[in-house]
Amino acid sequence: MPASISPAQAGRDQTDTPPVATLQAHDPVPITLQLRPPHRSGIEERFAPSDPQRTWDLTRNPRIARLLKDRRLQFMLILPNQIIFWTVILVGLVGTAIPGLNFGTAITWYVWFCLVFVLMVVVGRAWCVMCPFGGFGEWIQRRTFWRRTQKALGLGLKFPEPLARFGFLLPVGTFLLLTWIEEFFNIAGPGTPSDTSWMVVGIVSSALLFFLVFERRTFCRYLCPLTSLIGSVGSMGSVAGFRTKDRDVCLSCQTKDCMRGGEEGFGCPWYTWPGSADSNLYCGLCTECYKSCPSDNIGLYLQKPLTSVVQPTRRRADVAWAIALLWGLVLYQQLNALGWYATMDNWLNTHMAFPHYPNPVAYLGMIFAIAGITAGLAWLVSRAFGRKNLTFVSSGRFLDKQSQFRAFFLPIAYGMIPVVGADYFARQLPKFFQHAPRVATAVQHMVGAGGTTASTLYKVRLLSDPRIIGVQVGVIAAGTLAALWSTWKISKRELVPVSRGSVAVRAAAMTIVLAAGVLAAVLYVMMNAAD
Amino acid sequence: MTMTTTDLVPAPADQPQVTVLTDRCAGCQECVIRCPAGALSMDSARWVAVADSDLCVGCRQCVRTCPFSAITVEGPMAVAERTEPVATEPPARSTSEIRPGFASWDEALTEANRCLSCPDPTCVRGCPAHNDIPSFIKAIREGDLGKAHEVLRNTTVMPDVCSRVCDQSAQCEGSCTWSLAGGMPVSIGKLERFVADNAPVPPPAAAVPDDPAGELSVAVVGSGPAGIGAAWRLIEAGASVTVYERDETPGGLIDWGIPDFTLPKSVAHRPWDQLTAAGVDLRCGVDVTPGDVDHLLSTHDAVILANGAPVPIRPPVPGADLDGVTDATSFLKDGKAALRDAGALDLFRAAYGLSVADLGAIEQLDPAAPQVLVLGAGNTAMDVARTARRLGLRAVCVDWVAEQFAIARPDELAEARHEGIEVRFLRTLARLDGSDGRVQRATLTLTRQDRGDKRPEPLSGQTETVQADLVVMAMGYRNDAAFAPVLPGTPRRREAPSGTPDRRWLASGILANPGPEFAHHKPVGKLAMGREVGLRAAMLPYQDRVWAAGDSVVGPSTVVEAMTQGKLAAAAVIGARPSRARRANPTRVLIAYESRSGRTAEAAQIIARGLRPTGAVVRAVPLGQVDISDLSETDLLVLGTWVEGMVVTKVAPAKATQKWLASLPRLAGLRTAVFCTYGVSPKGALDTVRSQLAERGVEILTQDAFGPRKWDIEVGAAKFGARLIELAWTR
Ligand code: SF4
Ligand code: SF4
Ligand code: SF4
Ligand code: SF4
Ligand code: SF4
Repeated sequence: MPASISPAQAGRDQTDTPPVATLQAHDPVPITLQLRPPHRSGIEERFAPSDPQRTWDLTRNPRIARLLKDRRLQFMLILPNQIIFWTVILVGLVGTAIPGLNFGTAITWYVWFCLVFVLMVVVGRAWCVMCPFGGFGEWIQRRTFWRRTQKALGLGLKFPEPLARFGFLLPVGTFLLLTWIEEFFNIAGPGTPSDTSWMVVGIVSSALLFFLVFERRTFCRYLCPLTSLIGSVGSMGSVAGFRTKDRDVCLSCQTKDCMRGGEEGFGCPWYTWPGSADSNLYCGLCTECYKSCPSDNIGLYLQKPLTSVVQPTRRRADVAWAIALLWGLVLYQQLNALGWYATMDNWLNTHMAFPHYPNPVAYLGMIFAIAGITAGLAWLVSRAFGRKNLTFVSSGRFLDKQSQFRAFFLPIAYGMIPVVGADYFARQLPKFFQHAPRVATAVQHMVGAGGTTASTLYKVRLLSDPRIIGVQVGVIAAGTLAALWSTWKISKRELVPVSRGSVAVRAAAMTIVLAAGVLAAVLYVMMNAAD
Repeated sequence: MTMTTTDLVPAPADQPQVTVLTDRCAGCQECVIRCPAGALSMDSARWVAVADSDLCVGCRQCVRTCPFSAITVEGPMAVAERTEPVATEPPARSTSEIRPGFASWDEALTEANRCLSCPDPTCVRGCPAHNDIPSFIKAIREGDLGKAHEVLRNTTVMPDVCSRVCDQSAQCEGSCTWSLAGGMPVSIGKLERFVADNAPVPPPAAAVPDDPAGELSVAVVGSGPAGIGAAWRLIEAGASVTVYERDETPGGLIDWGIPDFTLPKSVAHRPWDQLTAAGVDLRCGVDVTPGDVDHLLSTHDAVILANGAPVPIRPPVPGADLDGVTDATSFLKDGKAALRDAGALDLFRAAYGLSVADLGAIEQLDPAAPQVLVLGAGNTAMDVARTARRLGLRAVCVDWVAEQFAIARPDELAEARHEGIEVRFLRTLARLDGSDGRVQRATLTLTRQDRGDKRPEPLSGQTETVQADLVVMAMGYRNDAAFAPVLPGTPRRREAPSGTPDRRWLASGILANPGPEFAHHKPVGKLAMGREVGLRAAMLPYQDRVWAAGDSVVGPSTVVEAMTQGKLAAAAVIGARPSRARRANPTRVLIAYESRSGRTAEAAQIIARGLRPTGAVVRAVPLGQVDISDLSETDLLVLGTWVEGMVVTKVAPAKATQKWLASLPRLAGLRTAVFCTYGVSPKGALDTVRSQLAERGVEILTQDAFGPRKWDIEVGAAKFGARLIELAWTR
């Protein structure tokens, strides 16, 4: 740059709006801050759809407010889970080898997953508040169970941008990997209890490693195998998370304690700013922002179910692809119960000299194929209905690119969330209905108070086939209805403006969703027949 | 969804490249509002920041200020080379000013153009006086030195002095955004000097007639930088100011402590010439002792103690009482005089028993000249050694710290070495030996130091000896212990308070680079925040009507800090308008409250409404927002809290209140009233608050607890307000 041109000419010399000077009164030094005024235009349209109703703020209740301000709250929520999970590890390693009698296996595979699921659908990231994996790492990273500490343990690195730019795709990858491992070793089968222990140990130690190498909850945001599922399915939940009470206060706030950490709370471990959150996707409900905001400008909001599916203005490509892949995975798990799949898997294994099911090529191949078909359908819709005169800026990184395909695929994928979620739930139901009471037997066994495979509880089934299938189909039907409703809403707002014809495009999008629901339901019936 | 996005057309290779990580960018705009080049804006639809690399200059302020590390900048800093004025290599002994300033407008403008006029200028935080650097540099760019002076005079009364004696690398320049980014900062010091050298520093402004401060009579003890700052501010407000100076000439350190080759005589004398012309009553040769303070209080409305930290530190080593061992103060005073005129030179020769060369006769340093051993390698030590060098003596400085942790200005150290002064680090004095009662040799013990925050350790048995025909102790100064009872809690450590750093400083990014290379890896941000402690300490009185400023508050510091503290203490006096005749009615009431359910807040409002008819300015502010500077602007403090503990047995004032009380500084003589609201019973909560406040020296007027019902609180608060008026206001 030639010395004669001062870059400042673009700086304070040329602000057309008068600079904001609100800080001066409070700043410890009477300096002349000439911050540019924050950008406000378009903010109303951007956030109005997803902003929760002001009155649905739980912190208006003084008791809840006091509870949420309590620094020990999250610790208290994590502690029981921490105890359970260390018990799982321990009992898995030293306890009985009979899976149904082993507390570790029983609680993990018969009950826990179902519970997490219900929490997701109702609340969102409720599991993340109490998660023992993240909780453990965070205790160590912060060097405390609950206090607000200043110095973190570990390297505190930032997650490298080349990886971080793929957002949700990394954790989908780890979820696929974990599921494959689990199928390969038949951990959830449930197979050998110690395998469950090793799996949990694996998660805890990779979490700990991440907490020690990177800052904040990098693990939860970029690696945790559950995060993509909890995040996307959790957006059906009725808790909007912690949001700003008055966005204007946030915009003129020049300290951003909720992001940087304040006197009473840490900066958001999830990299979420209550001032701009438009869904519950990335709010881990940890209450830190609520504690740190000096202006008391944060509330814990409820919202109508499905709000975070339907309303966010910004659709994220990583989330859409994650949904497609998760859909691929759950369908894969249904398809692999069918006879032809076993034949194909065996054939591939023989030719690849791979020991046994599940063949990785078949596994990934089918998942990607299903995701691809889903995306392909969206592409067909975009070709059939997309308006020709629109231009999209196609440059940029993965998350920033735009295209006609994306303009259709992203909203459609979001609309599918309830179906995908329902399918995951339905898949867990048989284990729950058939074996959940075994947890009680396993506890008895663990504490040495009887409890054998002969116990009545061990054999009790809450429900058996074909009723289970009935429930599964019912769950899918409910999920499909929710998905249809969401897609109806989403497509009106997002597809119609980019399409020729409004009814047809909405019908097409809903057909995709309906087809997905029907496919899942039919597969449950077929799976049962194949049994 | 908008149809626009980041345009990733690759920028030319020599252009910085900004990338916003859109996965994590929360659209908080911390970067957008601070980018000096306007390279960042918002994408309204996605609500993320977008960058225009073509506009970016690579200052990396965005990287430092993003709370979520969601932005990266690669590539060079697009800024011209720093303008370094060429020194016309002076003879090493030159007694005229040796550091060059900008010789021409061209040079100054080129440098001024490197300034980005940052919207959140970190240089301003780094400057102890908080000079509005971007604005005065902008004035230079506009060619208007008068305007530059207008900007500077808001915060400094000595731009000519400070620009010469400040260690800019640890202050403004070390915290300039370019320095924080790892580059060469704007030459702020030289630009400030350019202003002062090319347009006369304006004298104190004439007071506004009828300014109520005009009735004030203030005694300032000490005429050094802190005294100058205080007197200047007071005389501008129209107060009558009497300055008592123990020496025969005013100026303190800038008069006797800084050699002419760093600070020319005319510059050093300018402040006092202007102050006396403006009407400050300067009384030199008057030594004020702690016992005199009461007398001063009876003849003045307020006293500002700016008497410095005058006691030289002397190491208790064998031989320290030999002849030829002296302290820096005496050596600098005598040396300065000796360099100025030949008569004094003879006196110097006689007093120190040294064969000082005839000035002007030596071009080369005589290897057989007597050697001065300077203990210490700080800025004073450098001044001593360089003065000695100019007197034709050889000088060697020793310091027990490692060179990388030395406190001397790096440029000063380099200059000293260039002049032939030997500086040895990692050595400490063990013993002085001599014959006939006169020092001849020093034995030094080697030391080791790996970390700046650890004291160096002597290595036993590893020693060396140096010739020492004269030994000058320049290891620093300490406060006069006799004043400790008058100024409780001094000297204050200038350390940023532990806990969460002030978020406004955090937000500016000044803390993000813990030790910029230009600052020789000194933690500029932390140092600057530490200095705030001293600035605030100057705003509050130590006794009723007694303030203090400068080294007497914080121990040995710098000219600019002392001057600023003096100004702040004076401003506090002007605001408080104390009177020796009678106690004034409160005009500034602060109701600080802590409320959870809103009931205490409501009580605070009721009390505020009750007090307003007195005509005082009444502010009701949540505790968390009360700053020390607020307390310095308060005549009557009302503290309200609520009682924590559902169970009647464990009742205490709310935790946040207790924390706040614990962090309070001394609030000598501040009139205070306390109330609390309760649900069940207040128990001893009020007494807890009261005793904590009493430790700070406040005067408690009244206390009360209201509750449990809403109605009780309303009635109680109203009565409390009425009682307060009776107690604090005289008719
Ligand atoms: S939530 Fe509070 S701390 Fe965060 S931006 Fe808003 S006002 Fe500031
Ligand atoms: S800090 Fe606030 S926004 Fe961030 S995860 Fe915790 S509760 Fe959610
Ligand atoms: S490096 Fe500086 S100029 Fe470039 S975008 Fe960041 S703040 Fe703006
Ligand atoms: S400071 Fe960081 S999070 Fe905030 S708008 Fe800029 S890049 Fe985004
Ligand atoms: S001197 Fe440096 S920090 Fe200060 S405004 Fe100029 S560029 Fe910014």
